[in-house]
This record gives sequence, structure tokens and C-alpha cells, in this order.
Amino acid sequence: MNKPATEHDVGLMAHLLRRACFGASRDEIEAKAALGYDETLEELLDPLGQPEIEEDLMFRLHPFWYQSPALPSHEWVHRMINSPRQLQEKMSLFWHMVFCAGYSKIDVGQELGYMVAMFREHGMGNFRDLLHRLCTNPGMLYYLDNNESHKDTLNENFGRELLELFSMGVGMDQDFNYTEDDVKACARAFTGWNIAPAYPPFPHGRSRWEFRFDPADHDDGEKTFLGETGRWNGDDVLDIICKQPATARFIARHLYSFFVADEPPVPAWRLTPPLDPGLLQAMEQAYFDSGYDITAMLRVLFTSESFKSDAARFAKVKSPAEMVVGTLRLVEDHLEIRPGLYEISQKSTYMGMDLMNPPTVEGWHTGREWIDSGTLVERINYASELLGNTDLPGVRSLVHRLKSRGPALSPEAFVDGCLHLIGPMTVDNETRSELVSHARRGGDLRHESKSENAEFARRTGEMFQMIASTPEFQFE
Amino acid sequence: MSTHFFGLNQRSYQYSHSLGRLEMSGTGFRSPVDFAINPEGVAYVLNRSYEKRPDGVHVTMMTLDEEYITEFSSYGEAEGELVWPTSIALDPQGNVYVADEWLNRITIFDREGELLGSWGTPGSGDGELDRPSGIAISADGALFLTDSRNHRVQVFSLDGQFKGNFGGFGVAPGRLNLPWGIGLDKDGRVFVADWRNDRIQQFTADGEWQASFGQPGSGVGCFNRPNSVCVDDDGDIYVADCFNNRVQVLDPEGRFVTAMLGDHRLSRLGKEKLMANPDMIRQRALAYANNPDYEQRFDHPNAVKIDSRGRVCVLDPVRGRIQVYVKSKDPALA
Repeated sequence: MNKPATEHDVGLMAHLLRRACFGASRDEIEAKAALGYDETLEELLDPLGQPEIEEDLMFRLHPFWYQSPALPSHEWVHRMINSPRQLQEKMSLFWHMVFCAGYSKIDVGQELGYMVAMFREHGMGNFRDLLHRLCTNPGMLYYLDNNESHKDTLNENFGRELLELFSMGVGMDQDFNYTEDDVKACARAFTGWNIAPAYPPFPHGRSRWEFRFDPADHDDGEKTFLGETGRWNGDDVLDIICKQPATARFIARHLYSFFVADEPPVPAWRLTPPLDPGLLQAMEQAYFDSGYDITAMLRVLFTSESFKSDAARFAKVKSPAEMVVGTLRLVEDHLEIRPGLYEISQKSTYMGMDLMNPPTVEGWHTGREWIDSGTLVERINYASELLGNTDLPGVRSLVHRLKSRGPALSPEAFVDGCLHLIGPMTVDNETRSELVSHARRGGDLRHESKSENAEFARRTGEMFQMIASTPEFQFE
Repeated sequence: MSTHFFGLNQRSYQYSHSLGRLEMSGTGFRSPVDFAINPEGVAYVLNRSYEKRPDGVHVTMMTLDEEYITEFSSYGEAEGELVWPTSIALDPQGNVYVADEWLNRITIFDREGELLGSWGTPGSGDGELDRPSGIAISADGALFLTDSRNHRVQVFSLDGQFKGNFGGFGVAPGRLNLPWGIGLDKDGRVFVADWRNDRIQQFTADGEWQASFGQPGSGVGCFNRPNSVCVDDDGDIYVADCFNNRVQVLDPEGRFVTAMLGDHRLSRLGKEKLMANPDMIRQRALAYANNPDYEQRFDHPNAVKIDSRGRVCVLDPVRGRIQVYVKSKDPALA
């Protein structure tokens, strides 16, 4: 039998579910807290042990998801909200933000869908395997011009981005990780990695793009790459990349930045030391000890004191996707497919994150750069509208929980209760004073009569809206 | 030397032609979910489209000879509009009935597409609807409706008067799990695509269970989310075996006869579209040489119907077309 969860347990579990998942309802947070941190973490790290999302129902209700022109970002948002395999879905977002490719160039929605599906299926597995799948993904090959890279006319774009943005990074600990000659050797190794002819959009729709290796277009000559010489092809290059300490550091630092605390942008990583070298070192060790297993690195990360510490909580700016999906999971809306999902999927775009269409191969500028005067208004309006809707099941449940705290709530207890239920989160003294000051205008809250109940719900929804507009709510 | 005729039966199916192409309106279809054919050979194709393109929601009228006639209805919740249309059927007078699983409403149009009325009340009580998904209308004017999330079949008069229901959630014979398509044979027996139970069930017109065909899987006589069923005048049963990308033919006792996988050749409208873009002609030629199956085969077929000439017509939604087959009882060269 599980022990009753303490306040500390609930706070820690809410933190884990915000970071490793897309947030959770209060009911789920408390249930998982009662289950325990370690047990919950192991469940998250074993997605195949969790039920699958009901894909047959997704097709039944939205048959167009199988059609090529439609960018399936709304399908993805539905999965983020509803997948029982939450960490798996979060990792698909992680890889999408590292291995950036976008609709603006690819122009075929289903190819982005297939790429994200690959991240979903393999993003918690072996990094060497994932990298191979990435390098044979037709959408990525097209996005980085490898179809224009030939034995006799080299295009270095794919080779360069593979090293700079997808595996090693330009440098670390003040040094460079590779040279321009390495970039050329890498690009040469991937010549002939191309795409088979595909059907045009009309009259019956595009066919799925397929990888095709063309040996006649492959530069089979000798190459020196990262100090090793041979007639390397793309797979040989991946083998060499994956055994580099720089690759372990690069992946570890990305994971840390995504799950623990915002690191500076990638171009600064050569000169700027990591925020937590000790944790990164442990993750790098796990990378090599496990034979490049991503889940092994995640286990080290989520069991670290750095992640569990109070200082880590509400220290990361929510990405737009996390803001959109996390709020929906908290208020328990769109838990089944219904009209309006497309518009929901666009909310992230309005906040600066057009899913499946990052601005460049470098991806989005994250952390505090998510927020400007325009996106802040979008974020506040979005969250306020949902949290103020006391007809939504999750909000109704929070109101009910608040009522269970007693027949009457003082303004101070009311504000603290709302902050606790919505997070648990803390706000600075000035913010709390303003919230309390507002609550005092209505006096104590009671819920004995029908009219008191209605007023209780109205004021709670209003307080949730005010909390959604605080600076603290922008963090997770 | 001897010759062994395994699986020989007394009918064969020859691909005839296709109609339609992918279009948001006019001469093609966009995420079509069902269709009905009147005795004159006019197909009413129900386009669901997708949320980003609500302009694709409508009914297309096109002859089986691929002559475009018109389209009617549009996206919305007002009378005569559609949000999540699921199925379409014609009554003996040729009026058109469209089920909408979001609005829980049956909308009625005349044969030209003029609005006649609607009915439907959400809920789970007798005569109430929760995601209606399939319609079949008998010769004597009884409307059979798969009431999907109530896991049952309900029977109404054409103006929506409740007559009875049968089914209920479960896996036992006669029970249903998210039923979708529904069809009637010439004697009025009812065939239900028991979608999540991966089987077809046969009932009398009064709802008495008679038989169940199939089980989950991809082998012969097995189904993976069957979503449409119809029966021809010989009693042969046709099932759109959606996730297996095929149409299976069963004999009147439910034994597997054959399967159609799709044999598409470019239709007139398809050729016209390609002729307008020489680059697409070249691209298609390269792709066809690499993978001819892609263009020919079904991709999640979701409706199968028999026309007044006994032809088998298959809605191929992802490709935006209908493939037509001719049934022959004589030996026919493929």
C-alpha cells in the first residue's frame, strides 16, 4: 500500500510531470505522488510498458491525418495532450528542437509527421541508431540539400549541420571539435544518400518519400575524418562521431537545457562552461557505459539532485508547446478528439513556436527569448481563458478541492490555496500581496448557499486568471 | 500432369475504371467518408475534409461515368450544414440522408441537394444519438442507423420517429463495439461493420442476431477495423477492410471468396489534371517506374457500395477517388 503523499512529494511530482511530461491534472499529480517518485520515473522511462494512444480512433475521427498536404501538427498536439507515453512524446519534441527541419522548405506535411514519428519511436533508444535514421530520413536529406550533394559537386550543408547542430557542436571547453576538412570529409561520405522519385501531389496525392542510396553518386575515395583515415561512407562517419567525447557532451548538454535549466544558445557552448559540469559528466559517462543509450542518460538526469532540487523548480521558461499543452492537461480539455484541435495547435504558433516549422536549422531561441511583448500577451490570454473557465473538468475539480479546505476561506488562505492547487507554485511577496489585495475586496469566500457556491466558483476562476498573468506562471 | 484449381469459385471481379481526383471542391474529393449511388448512376460523395480547410466539407454529385454535376452543403452547425459528416444514404424517392457525428443530426436533402429538414437528439436514451456513423434505408422506408458510441443500431422512420434498437456494448454475438458502416441485403437483413470488434454481424430486420463473420487479423476472412459493408443481389458480402487496405468478398455464409486490393488506372479527370502540369507528368512517370503499386492500390478504403448494374464501387479516400469493379460469373481474362 502506498504511503500518503506529503506536500513535498506533491511538489516534487508536479515538477517531474511538468518537465518529463506535458504537465498533469491535479488528480494525476497526487496519484503519482502516492505511487512514488522512483516508480513513476521508471514508468516514464519505459514507454512501451504504458498503453498506446488509440490511433485507430484518431484515424476514425480524423481520416485526413493520412493525407499528405495537411501538416499534422494538430495530430501531434493531440498526442502531447493524451498520450499515456508522456516522456516518449516529450522526447519527440526534444529531438524536433535539436534535429530541426521545417515545412517552409519541405512543403509536405506528412514528411514532417513521419520524421516526428521516428523521433517518437526511437528517441529514447540508441543514439547511433537514431542518428542513422536521421541521416536516412528523406525529409532531412532534402531540408539540408543532400540531394544536391554529388560525388563531383559537393554540397557541404548536410555534413556541416550534422556535426555542428546534430551531434558534436562546434567546440567545448574552449577548443574546436572539428575542422573544415572534417566537414568536407563528412559531406563526401554522405554523397549518394538520396531520395527515390516520389509521386506529385496530383491527381491522387504524394507518395511517402523513400531513402535511396546511389552508389554511382557516392564518393568512395579515401577520407580523413576526425583523425581516422579510410574509404569512409556515411555509416562509418556516424561510428566515428558517436565515440567522440564531444558528442556525449553535446547530447548531455541539450538534455540538461531541455529538462533541467536553460543553457545559453548552442553557438556559445564552446566558450561558455556548462551550468552543471558534474551532472553532465555523469550523463556523458552513462552515454558511453550504456553504448550510447539515451534512456540511460535520462535516468541519470531525473535521479540527480540537480533536477530534484527546489532551485530547479519554476526556473525554466515554458516553451509555447508546453504552455499550450500543459494548460490543457491541467484544465482537462481536449482529452478526446473534438472540433477545435486545429485552432489549438495554432496557439503555439501565435506564441512563437510553429511546430514542425522551426525558423531555421538552428531551431528556436529558447529560454527567456520565448517571451516578448507580443508572445507574452498571447500566453497570458490563452492560459487565462482556459483557467478562468470553471465549466472545464480540471478547473471544476480545483474549485471543488478548494472548497474542501473549509466552509470559509480568508483572502490569504484563498490565494495560497489557488497557488498551491495550480502548481504548487510560489510567487514573490509583491505578487502575492497584489493577489491578496484583490481577494480582500470580495471578503471571505463561503460556499453554503447556491449563490455563495456560484460566487466561489466565479472568484476562483478569476483568481486563476490572475495567477496565469503573473510572471511566475511563465515558468515551469 | 494435373491442374489444381484451389479456391475456385463462380465469380470474378474485373477492374473497370475510376472516378474523381484529389480536389478541395468541384471535380474531386477531399477526405471522403462515404457515398451513395442512385439508380441513374449518380454518386453522392460525402467529403469530410479537415479543419484547416472547412471549404472542403460538402456533398459532391458525380456520375459513375465521371461527369461532375454539382456539390451541396457546407461546413457549419446551421441547418443544412455539416461538421463531422460520417455517412450518406438515399431513400426510395432519391432523397439524401446525411449523418453528422458531431452534431448528432440527420440532415435530409432532396435529390438535387435542396434542404428538406433534419432530426436527431443527442443522448443515450431510446432514439437519442451519440456519434451516428452509418445509415442504411430499406425499400419500405425504415432507416437503420449505427449509433456508434451507444454501441447499437437504432431504427427510425424517415422523419426520425424512433422504432426500436438493438445491440449494446460487448463482444458477445449481437453485441457491438463502436459500429460504423451498415448495409441491407435484398431481403432486408441487416449487416453491421462491428468496427472495434473487427467483424461483421448479421441481424434480421427486427434486430435478431443471425451470424458473425471474421476476427481481428490480416488473414483471409479476418478484419482490421472494417468500416463499411454491403451485400449484392447474389447475397455476396463486401467489406471495406480499412486498415488492411483491401475489400474482402465473402459468400452468403460468410466464407472468404476473394479480396480486391486496388487496380487504379488514371481516370479522365486525373489525366486532365496531369496534362495541366508537364512537370507532374514527368515526376509521376519516374515515381510510377519506381513504385506502381502506390498509385494502383487502395489506401484505407472506407466505403463499398453496389450500383444498380451490380458493379462494386470502392471509396478510396486518401487518394480521392472511387474504383469500380465489374462482377462476372463467366470466366474472364484479367
